[in-house]
Amino acid sequence: MGRYIARRLLQAIPMLFLLSLALFVLVNIAPGGPLAGHGRSRRPDPEKAEILKRQFGLDQPLPVQYVVWLIGNDWMKVDADGDGIKESNGTRRGILRGDFGFSFKTRQPVLDEILDRLGNTVYLMTATLIVVAIIAIPVGIISAIKQYSFFDIGVTTLSFMGQAIPEFWLGMILILVFYVWLKNPATGEPLLPPGGMKSLDTGFNLWDRIQHLILPVTMGAVGWVAWYSRFLRSGMLDVIHQDYIRTARAKGLSERVVMLRHALKNAFIPLVTILALDIPYIFAGSLYVELIFSWPGMGRLYYQAATGRDYPVLMAILIFASMFTVFANLLADVAYGYLDPRIRFE
Amino acid sequence: MPREKVIKALALGTLFVLLASSLVGCGATPEPTQPPEPTDVAAEPTKAPEPTQAPEPTEAPEPTEAPEPTEAPPPTEPPPPEPEESSIVIAIPEDPAGFNPYVSDTGYEQLLMELTMLGLTDLDAEGNLFLELAAELPTVDNGGVVVDEENWTMDVTWQLRDDVYWADGEQVTADDVIFTWDAISDPEGGIWAEGIDYTEGLEKVSDLSFTVHYSYTYPNYALHFGGENFVVWPEHYCDATQGFVAWDCNREPLSNGPYLLKDWQTGDYISFVRNPTYFEEGKPYIDNILVRIVPERAVIKTMLIEGDADAYMWLTPTEIDDLKEEDQIGVTFSPTTRWVMRLIPNLAARGSIDPDADPHPILSDVRVRRAIRMAIDVDLLTQEIFRGYNQPVWTELFRPPYVCDIPRPEYNPDGASDLLAEAGWTDEDGDGIRECHGCETAEEGYVMAMENMIYAEYGEELELAQQLVAEMLKEIGIDLQLSIVEGPVLWADYESGGIEQNGDFDLNMWDDGYPGLDPTDHLWAYYYSSAAEPDYGWNVGRWYNEDFDALLDEAYVLDEEYRQELFCQMADILEEELPQILLWSEVDADGYNMRLEGVQATVNDIMTWNVADWKINE
Amino acid sequence: MDESPTPLNDTAQLQWAAQERAHETMLTMVWKRFRRHPGAIAGLIILGIIILGVILAPLSPYDPEASDIRNRFQPPSLQHPFGTDALGRDLLTRCLYGGRVSLTVGFLVVLITLAVGIPVGAVAGFSGGWIDNVLMRITDAALSMPSLMVLILLSAILREVEIPFFERNNVLTIALVIGALSWMTVARLVRASFLAIKEMEFITAARCLGTPRLRLMGRHILPNAVGPIIVEATLEMGWAIMEEAGLSFLGFGIQPPTPSWGNLLESAWEHMVKYPWLAIFPGLMIFLTIIAINYIGDGLRDAFDPHKVLQRVGEV
Repeated sequence: MGRYIARRLLQAIPMLFLLSLALFVLVNIAPGGPLAGHGRSRRPDPEKAEILKRQFGLDQPLPVQYVVWLIGNDWMKVDADGDGIKESNGTRRGILRGDFGFSFKTRQPVLDEILDRLGNTVYLMTATLIVVAIIAIPVGIISAIKQYSFFDIGVTTLSFMGQAIPEFWLGMILILVFYVWLKNPATGEPLLPPGGMKSLDTGFNLWDRIQHLILPVTMGAVGWVAWYSRFLRSGMLDVIHQDYIRTARAKGLSERVVMLRHALKNAFIPLVTILALDIPYIFAGSLYVELIFSWPGMGRLYYQAATGRDYPVLMAILIFASMFTVFANLLADVAYGYLDPRIRFE
Repeated sequence: MPREKVIKALALGTLFVLLASSLVGCGATPEPTQPPEPTDVAAEPTKAPEPTQAPEPTEAPEPTEAPEPTEAPPPTEPPPPEPEESSIVIAIPEDPAGFNPYVSDTGYEQLLMELTMLGLTDLDAEGNLFLELAAELPTVDNGGVVVDEENWTMDVTWQLRDDVYWADGEQVTADDVIFTWDAISDPEGGIWAEGIDYTEGLEKVSDLSFTVHYSYTYPNYALHFGGENFVVWPEHYCDATQGFVAWDCNREPLSNGPYLLKDWQTGDYISFVRNPTYFEEGKPYIDNILVRIVPERAVIKTMLIEGDADAYMWLTPTEIDDLKEEDQIGVTFSPTTRWVMRLIPNLAARGSIDPDADPHPILSDVRVRRAIRMAIDVDLLTQEIFRGYNQPVWTELFRPPYVCDIPRPEYNPDGASDLLAEAGWTDEDGDGIRECHGCETAEEGYVMAMENMIYAEYGEELELAQQLVAEMLKEIGIDLQLSIVEGPVLWADYESGGIEQNGDFDLNMWDDGYPGLDPTDHLWAYYYSSAAEPDYGWNVGRWYNEDFDALLDEAYVLDEEYRQELFCQMADILEEELPQILLWSEVDADGYNMRLEGVQATVNDIMTWNVADWKINE
Repeated sequence: MDESPTPLNDTAQLQWAAQERAHETMLTMVWKRFRRHPGAIAGLIILGIIILGVILAPLSPYDPEASDIRNRFQPPSLQHPFGTDALGRDLLTRCLYGGRVSLTVGFLVVLITLAVGIPVGAVAGFSGGWIDNVLMRITDAALSMPSLMVLILLSAILREVEIPFFERNNVLTIALVIGALSWMTVARLVRASFLAIKEMEFITAARCLGTPRLRLMGRHILPNAVGPIIVEATLEMGWAIMEEAGLSFLGFGIQPPTPSWGNLLESAWEHMVKYPWLAIFPGLMIFLTIIAINYIGDGLRDAFDPHKVLQRVGEV
């Protein structure tokens, strides 16, 4: 097992390098640049362009830019003041040393910007995931056990609907209903807040936090619950029809024991792997939820960076997300191999 | 059984990690160190306005200051007239990059800047100059401005007020101004600013006075160290080694303005608290200002209506109408206009930057441009799409103090058709689109089809206007393909593939205009011949006219009458040659909750320009 | 042939066994099973209606792009069943034309998925060795990318770069962008099927007879792997339509004035409170289309699933 993990890790590293190179190329061949503001003057001062290019390091050829991005330029001389003479040391250390550069828009270190938002995204996504798990797992299991019952058919229909609703449309409708139309009968105020993580004139108030979570979590959870509950249902169904279940029943074990002890554990295996594959989603966040509900998270940061062509931020987020995915895949494979002995002995 | 344990362990472990990291998200907001909750009344006395005496540090520690200041009456009980702390919420759709508009110019940086810092001068909503840090305005008459007639150089001497202090107690001096300018003009860490090309240097005269040496007569000198972008940064606080655009000051400034930065949660909100040492007596009136970031404009509008936000900038005409219907919402309009929407034809062939070698097959003929103008019903557009809030404009020189008398062009689609036929464009094959038959600028049979681009960030109204314009031009036989392009692509520099700098367009439509009173720089950037060089200016239509150049060169004087003459002559040339087709001026309106008094929209600055004057009347 | 009573666990063998038993071609058998699935039939009908409506869009008396300023923002009525939009255009007509765009994107993405995924998976599964390794690493790399983020990036690039034959924001460009990230699952499925079937006896037999590789892949292996592929491709179409809607909503998809369901929603967002019908109807179209596709996919999955068949036949 250990050797397998080590081998996969070793394979992951060149893949990450290739991925970073591919992303770097993609990001940089996109036309347009950060030098064009969409500011109030509608167009940037051209005189600024030269200074900005120097400060952003964009005056270097692309391969040099990639190398600098990777390992920094403090080991070489650069021309910092535009006089054509390379006399000062660079200031960047490169991502391999933890320096993800600075945002073109705010000039702040990219890592800081990401870390500022990361917690918020994880917070939201974890809450969503918990809600999803609480709903989808029991629903999926019961649905499978009582196949073709009313419950099952109802759940299946709802799942289909849940997977067909466009997420952003749902968000719009939620705001329409719960912020604009429905009012709290006692105070006449809107029922739920339209966004943000918390009200700002209170300290840590659990009820306030929950209120701010309800709508975004609903928006994100609907599709997820639909997907997971069906997945679990079909996983359970596959397991239930296996021979060893029949054997367990034949042995005289109660239905409950059969289901919970034998069927469930095995049905969980594919769910665990799906869950592991969804872990990167927790960190990258849902763009739509964060946009519609003003949630200060990573997804929104990416979207703003994309529209503003803020390359360092884009690259950093893409690399982070990819890294998470690679390791999540590895985790899923390992978990699957560990949990399912049949794979192990292949 | 080991497998069960493994599963349990994995599940618990993952859950734990996730919960732990989500607590990071929960706990990411530090408790405010500053103003106590409204219920904490005992601390009220220290927040009573005590500006000139013992200037407090930025983080005034209340509780230990309970003992009264030197003159407040001993508070035996909570002073009754002291109400709860007043606070308002301003909602904006974007994260500001910081407090420094030179780093990023979206307008939201100015918003923050105006809350906390001051420049020497500024413009009010009418366009009149008023003083902030400057004690008086230097003019030729009072000797503040000295012009050397022979060499065309100029010296301006400024005098600063003596009663303005930074929030940490240090006085604002000429050293700060010189420090700021040095930081801006530093080739390594600085940035380009207006006036930098004409400024030779700043010379300190005394603690509160300095002289600026200009190498050229700079008519806009009065706003050079103020206006919408420039403020004075503190020498003793900001770290010059970090560079003007990257120093920490841009995120954590030291205030000398009406408000102090209290807390900034990226992506979420920025909170401000009243600066007790602000130099204007009694101001500001509002205790707390919260700037909330809400990316969806539709949500902001709803929040304004529901009362969760008190102010909102840059309303679209649709929003103006919607908000006007609400009794509790007021809309303020800027008395002057700035941004003028215009069609910019490329006089060089697409992809070329040389209008002489490769003239544009359709647009290089001025009759075609004139016909296009005649075919567009600007009134329909401004009335229907922009609900009457935008006003038709047809010349650059329509704003006081330089108003030139150019007659309004008529809307005459038949006349436009005739003009096109005269220019050699007719529709021989009956498909509704003209081709060149005897035209002067293209080959025989060249189809009159072009592409029109607008920028995505404007919003729905411009898309609709674009579609209407296409329909209007279709009526006279011009086929217009429509595209929407993002700003960063449209306006990028030449090497990055910027569409306009590369001349990769036919007819574009966007808005621009100049703040304040002086059109010189604006005219230069759009119409001067050298501005047609890539990355040098914005004459992306590649138009040039020697007479125009000569007139503009002469406009760098201080003689207002002479300038008026020059400008109107320039306006005539522009009217004759139509390098751009001006359409309408954009409305500038802000929305606010009626309980807020004093909000005034202005094109010369941002909504918070007069935040010190805002009051709440409940 | 072989009348062994032992239950068979391999998909392909089951398939083949059921076929033999019923003396039918695969297509008829699948169709028969599909018919029994009520949801799938309903889905087929709904999708059929939508496709029909979309094809017949030009019959509408209204022009989807011409404005009618006097009639802006009309609520649904007899003349305008879906109401009118900000320029007075009939929303039903725009929805139908938008459907053309969205459905076309969906179909194109499915084509791309199959055109790329099947060869990649087939070659990988069949060849094994280092070819398999490399192809799988590439597939994994593509799967590692956070899909929405990369779609935004690709869209931003491809929309502006001058590619011959592609105009700006053409339907083809968006389909290409979405297609670039949609082929991986099919590739994996195909590869898995190939890996499994490759070892079976009838393949070895064919190989012994000297059948060339391509024929082997195309004639013998592929038809037996086709079930899951078809199901997956169907579901991909639903995914593609959803992604296109999302991208257009964010401003990175099809751009106005060409209507697509996604950008109809994008312009409706701002007016949602006052004129909710602008948002409701396009969203409803997306919803109905995708739910129909999902039901059809579910029906196909059941139809191709030999376990179910043999359950009913009493074998398993």
